[in-house]
Parts: sequence; structure tokens; C-alpha cells
Amino acid sequence: MPVRVFVTGLGIISGIGKDLNEHVTSLYHSRPGISDIRFLDTHLKGEIPVSEVKCSDEELFGMTGVSSHEAYSRNSLLGIIAAREAWDHAKLGTRKKRRTGLISATTVGGMDQCEKYYQEFLKGDSYNDFIEIYDCADSTEKIARQLGITGFRTTISTACSSAANAILFGARLIRDGYLDRVVAGGTESLTIFHMNGFNALKILDKQPCRPFDANRSGITLGEGAAYIIIESEEAAREDAPEFIAELAGYGNACEAFHQTASSPDGQGAWLAMKKALETAGIEPGQIDYINAHGTGTDNNDLSEGIAIQRLFGEHIPPVSSTKPFTGHTTSAAGSTEAILSILSLKHQMIWPNLNFRDPMPELSFTPVKELITDVPVNYVMSNSFGFGGNDTSLIFKKVKQE
Amino acid sequence: MEELISKLKQEVIQQLNLEDIKPEDIDSDSPLFGEGLGLDSIDALELIVLLEKNYGLKIEDPKDGKKIFHSIRTMAEYITEHKKS
Repeated sequence: MPVRVFVTGLGIISGIGKDLNEHVTSLYHSRPGISDIRFLDTHLKGEIPVSEVKCSDEELFGMTGVSSHEAYSRNSLLGIIAAREAWDHAKLGTRKKRRTGLISATTVGGMDQCEKYYQEFLKGDSYNDFIEIYDCADSTEKIARQLGITGFRTTISTACSSAANAILFGARLIRDGYLDRVVAGGTESLTIFHMNGFNALKILDKQPCRPFDANRSGITLGEGAAYIIIESEEAAREDAPEFIAELAGYGNACEAFHQTASSPDGQGAWLAMKKALETAGIEPGQIDYINAHGTGTDNNDLSEGIAIQRLFGEHIPPVSSTKPFTGHTTSAAGSTEAILSILSLKHQMIWPNLNFRDPMPELSFTPVKELITDVPVNYVMSNSFGFGGNDTSLIFKKVKQE
Repeated sequence: MEELISKLKQEVIQQLNLEDIKPEDIDSDSPLFGEGLGLDSIDALELIVLLEKNYGLKIEDPKDGKKIFHSIRTMAEYITEHKKS
């Protein structure tokens, strides 16, 4: 009997809120976080909408209590805010000390600050703190320092499946007996580099994204951070304040079909979802809601939709993409959507796929258009697929009062 | 007011599935979140739903929620003040 893994804390910041409470109210009132660019200094301002965290860097420094003279990237600050909320939610500061790790997903690392100081740095050749923090792992170390985690720490960067893989890896470390608790998730602030990168691929929608719509026209990028606390059943039973959900299943597959495109038959997505069902020990018919990757690109939504049809046949559960709320937070998307999926279990509600109008002719199903309340949600599947075909699916289960 | 308070206690227990708690266990003035009844911040949505469903009152700004959902009494006061007769 494998060790059961429970979720005991949640923390999140994104375009739709600065904490969990603001997220549930934004979801409930269908309030998206997408708007014109305000904080990022880019030539795409006014042209391409994004979902920014509605705070300046100075405000984020204030929220974390870190001195703005220290070399902390926006990315690290977002991560600290979300990870600390999850830490406090699980009351880890006052509970029995156990082997605790931090697995943080990101691609940005400290890149956002390097962009500001790079030209200046090139002119002189003086030492610059903000150039030194470029690497991905810098944000992980900053979060660990703020939370006081001195044990196992690692950074995962597998594009848009990164944060789902952080959760998957954390669960495996717990199941295999290496750790008792893991702070798992991801952080990603918007940067000029990745805005330009996605723009060069010509996959940014000029309107807020419209996943699973026949007229969809690409991604809306977003920023944010989300972390969950997962722990072994033994650790949670001893002194956890609440069992929020169970991480029942997970699966990862890498189809390596193309650098940035998914296969037409959705083989990687299909394999990941199938493996997740197998580790959870459940049938497709037991899934009550699929929080899809649903980026709004032609390629993803078709490939994912076909994979869902292949796996679920004629009995496709309600499906929605919550990216029209938060934007696509890339390396933080997996944990952002894991939390929105857990909130769906907690409140027995299914979040709508905003901006959907016209069904895709290639698919047999359409996404959920409006908020569904008072619906039994016992198992939720959360999909996160990355460039290179690195696909992950997580399954969370509602916990009965124990 | 006292009648509304005791009705609210029952409704809160029902909405949040607080199976082990009886209405008389809830102090009308104790904080609902944190050390009082021990609700956590995401439970606030259930209270928003309760006010909407049972009293037709909409709370859109989470910041208002913090004041309104401080205790059973502050909830009752808000309902009395805002409920259309």
C-alpha cells in the first residue's frame, strides 16, 4: 500500500488576487485578471493584454518585508508571498519539525531584474548584484531562505508543465520515504524575454485568450506564484490543522514530437492522463471535472481535446480552462491550476471557461461556460503540458471529514 | 437580532459542514477565522454564498468580507442593515 499524500496548505498570488481568499471570490464572481500591460516595461504595451499581479515591485517588497536594497527579483518576491501563505496555512511554523523540502518551478529565476540592469552592466564591467541572480535556482534559494528551509531544495524547469512536475516530484519523494513534507509549486513573473519569445512564435492573442473556441487565436500570458504543502499521511495525521485534499494520482509523459507543438493525436497528453488515473486507481468515469491545460492556441486545444476524447470516450466530464482568469502563468501554471482544482473540490463548484463562444468543429465536447455550483466534485484532474511535449496530469481527491 | 444570530449559527454550521460543532458552541462575538471558530480564509466563499442564497446580499469585494465576516454578530448586523424588507 503506497504512502498517501495529503495537501495541507495552499498559497497563491496571480492576476486575480493576492491571496487565496481573493482568488475564490474572483472565481466565484467570474472576474478575470487580464488587462492592458501596466507594470512590465515593453514595446508590446497597449498591443497585447496580459494578466499581471496588480502590484509594483516596491509593493511586493513591502508585502514580503524584504529590503528593496537586496537583490531579489520580482519572480522571487511573488514566490515568497505564495510559499509563505501556504506555509502559514498549514501552520508549519508551530508544528513538529519534520524532513521538509522545497521544490520550486520557474524559468524566469532572476531574469526580470537582469533585463533592467543588463545594458548598464555592459557599459561598465563592474560587479552587479542583479546580474548575479540570473539563474533559475536563485528564486528557489531566496524562497528557502525566507521560509528557513535548509533541507532538500531543487528547481524544476520543464516549460509549462514545470510546477505540476514539482508537485509530482514532491509526492514521489514523500512516497519513497525521502521526505515527510514538501513545499511544491512554482513562480513566474512576466519578463520582456518571454513576452518577446512567445510573440516571435506568433501565438499571443491580441484579445484575452479564448480556449477551446473555434476562433481562438493564442495565449494570454500571465504571472504569479502558487505553492501547496504536501505531506505523508503519517505527518498530516499527527498535527495538520486540516486535510484540504488528497493528491491521489499523477502521470508524466514526454512525447518529444516537436520543440513547441503537440502531436495531432495528443499522445503525450493521453499517456499522462492515463498514468494519472492508474496511480489514483480509478476509472475515467470517476473524474468529475478536468481543469484543462487549454492555452487558447490552435495546436494545444485541438491536441488536448482529442486526447480527452480518446481517453473519456462518450462520457466526458465538465472541462474548463481557467487561463482566461489568470492568463498562462507558464512555469507557475501547473501549481496555480492545481490550487484552482483543489478549490473546486473544497467548494463543490466548477469554474467557467470564460470567453468561450463557438464550439470547435473537430471536438465532440464544449467547455463549461458558466459557474456551476452545488455539484458533487470528488475527483479533479489538472493538466499541464509543456514545450517539448513534456506533459503532466495530476488528480486531486476530496477528503471526507476525518 | 438574537433570533437572527441563532439562525445564522445554524446556517453557518450547515454551509460549512461543521459536523462536530453545535450552535451553542459558537460565541456570537468570537472571531470566525483564526483562533475563534478556526475557519480559514477560503471558507469565506462559503459565507459569501450563504448571504447570497439565504439573504440575497452580494459581497463582491473580499476586503468588505473581512469586516462583515468577523463574527456571527457582525454578520447579523450587516444583514439587518442591508436586507431589503
